Amino acid sequence: MKWSKRGLLFEPQRHILPNGCTDFAQSPQALVFDDFVRIYFSTRSRDASGQYLSHIAFVDVDKCLQQVLGTATNTVIPPGALGCFDEHGIFPINVVRHAGKIYAFTCGWSRRVSVPVETAIGLAVSHDDGLTFERVGPGPVMAPSLNEPFLVGDPFVVVRDGLWHMWYIYGTSWVESPSDPGPARVYKIACATSPDGVAWQRDGVTIVADALGADECQALPTVFGCDGLWHMYFCYRHATDFRTHRERGYRLGYAWSRDLRHWTRDDASGGLGVSPSGWDADMLCYPHVFSCDNQVYMLYNGNAFGRQGFGVAVMER
Amino acid sequence: MFTWRKRGKVFDPAAVARADWMNEFAQAPATLVFDTFVRVYFSCRPRPDANGQYVSRAAYVDLNRANLLEIAGLSEQPILDLGGLGTFDEFGTYPISVVRNGDEIRAYYGGWTRCASVPFDVAIGYAISRDGGVSFEKQGRGPVLPADLHEPFVISGPKIRRFGDRWYLWYIAGTRWILNEGRPEPVYRIRMATSDDGLHWERLHRELIPTRLEADECQASPDVIFTNGKYHMFFCYRHSLGYRGREKGYRIGYASSTDLVTWVRDDDKAGIDVSDEGWDSEMICYPHVFELDGTTRMFYLGNQVGRHGFGLAELEGALS
Repeated sequence: MKWSKRGLLFEPQRHILPNGCTDFAQSPQALVFDDFVRIYFSTRSRDASGQYLSHIAFVDVDKCLQQVLGTATNTVIPPGALGCFDEHGIFPINVVRHAGKIYAFTCGWSRRVSVPVETAIGLAVSHDDGLTFERVGPGPVMAPSLNEPFLVGDPFVVVRDGLWHMWYIYGTSWVESPSDPGPARVYKIACATSPDGVAWQRDGVTIVADALGADECQALPTVFGCDGLWHMYFCYRHATDFRTHRERGYRLGYAWSRDLRHWTRDDASGGLGVSPSGWDADMLCYPHVFSCDNQVYMLYNGNAFGRQGFGVAVMER
Repeated sequence: MFTWRKRGKVFDPAAVARADWMNEFAQAPATLVFDTFVRVYFSCRPRPDANGQYVSRAAYVDLNRANLLEIAGLSEQPILDLGGLGTFDEFGTYPISVVRNGDEIRAYYGGWTRCASVPFDVAIGYAISRDGGVSFEKQGRGPVLPADLHEPFVISGPKIRRFGDRWYLWYIAGTRWILNEGRPEPVYRIRMATSDDGLHWERLHRELIPTRLEADECQASPDVIFTNGKYHMFFCYRHSLGYRGREKGYRIGYASSTDLVTWVRDDDKAGIDVSDEGWDSEMICYPHVFELDGTTRMFYLGNQVGRHGFGLAELEGALS
């Protein structure tokens, strides 16, 4: 695969966002309209205790992905109620058009005591063309299961021939790490299917081979069909010391499949690496691939998990 | 109205002082009948940690089948391990419900984790014993019945039953957390799920028992027994706030059903209430009803939700 990087597309510090958010525009994900592209992302405020809360916002851009047309002026979806799985933020959000409706699969965060956080996947629907979303229920559609004990998150959904496919991640272990603040988590990519987007069938098995060993963390799968194959981009890193050690931080991984079930990992063919300098020189993460007007684009974050915003690359073919 | 004859307290872990992990509490009794004894599973606690927080461990006491007031044995170890770091049952296994399935014994239990904004969350785990119920092996590191779209938290209080070829799980699901003077208090109601294999569950997604005290009445321990052509449910219920004293604390309620789905609540029929004094004078809760050698019997908890053990009552006549 060959990609041409276009650089930063959106810098949150240059715009006014709802809920007093200033830093971070993480995990950009596109919803294409007739005359613009809406890009959802997670940005952050701080609560009374000084801890981060992730909020969903969006930016509308032109269909060539070159010009910002506007940003969200209102809350897109509020945090969950006291004690709910998404009480302490939503990051990321995956928005899907299906049968005339706009659905959002959310990764909700709630804070824990022995570990910093737990996540699960929720479902919301929009009745106003994606300006705001309403939860279908207060709980998650994808929670821990017997074989997926924690940290179920990062949903990416494709509806094909009436079947809903979800790629997502689940946690396999929490490891004590002297060099990180609190226990460090390990998570892997898995997949599930559903007839309706609510009831999901899953196997509790990982689908992408490790490149960095058992403690490799794999996150945010994005899947698309192109030239007769299915392609998956995701990001991966070492489990510990990944925040400040450049060589241990997130990079983009790549895998391909003929049947959406069996995946062959081939990072070398992914075609997108860190830049020699600049906003995406230290890490690459949270890829999202979509098509618009016969072009294939990838949105992604760079250094510091997207603190400075997100950029775009165009597939060359 | 049923008439129960109270036989007094049966088991108090503090009186046994067997082990550090069984310092006090014997909560949510659940029975498994053997030839010469009745094994009663319960959850107990070691002393709280430096922050005053408890963990719950699951254990059993064997009672002489001919005289249930006589202790015949006690588990040497907790019957279930606590979960690993970050798992749903890292901080407790309470309550537990067991059922025989051929040579194995299945257990469904509430697994406890600690949260930041509310004190805890609970999901239901699944374990199997192949040594006659002395120890249980978890069937996964995660829960078999977690929160879902319509049941957002506190999935607890499992009671496993098998009627015909179908597995039934009665349980409770949280409806909301009330912030009471800064302290979150959970509200929970009785629900039901069914299964062909005990592993994959279909939830009814409906509250089975209407409230009586207030809209936020809390309901627990939905214990179902089939006899005389009818399903009988004994459960406990309390006010949402101020429930630690006699006035608003747990009482035992009753409902009946002919189809397992539609339940008619009739607490006046339950026939058991707090005593004027003693170990069950402030509250009675967590009933478990079973038939043994021609008599219908109930184990239940008293004051402070079983801090000082559980007691026995025996029914005059039959449930009808």
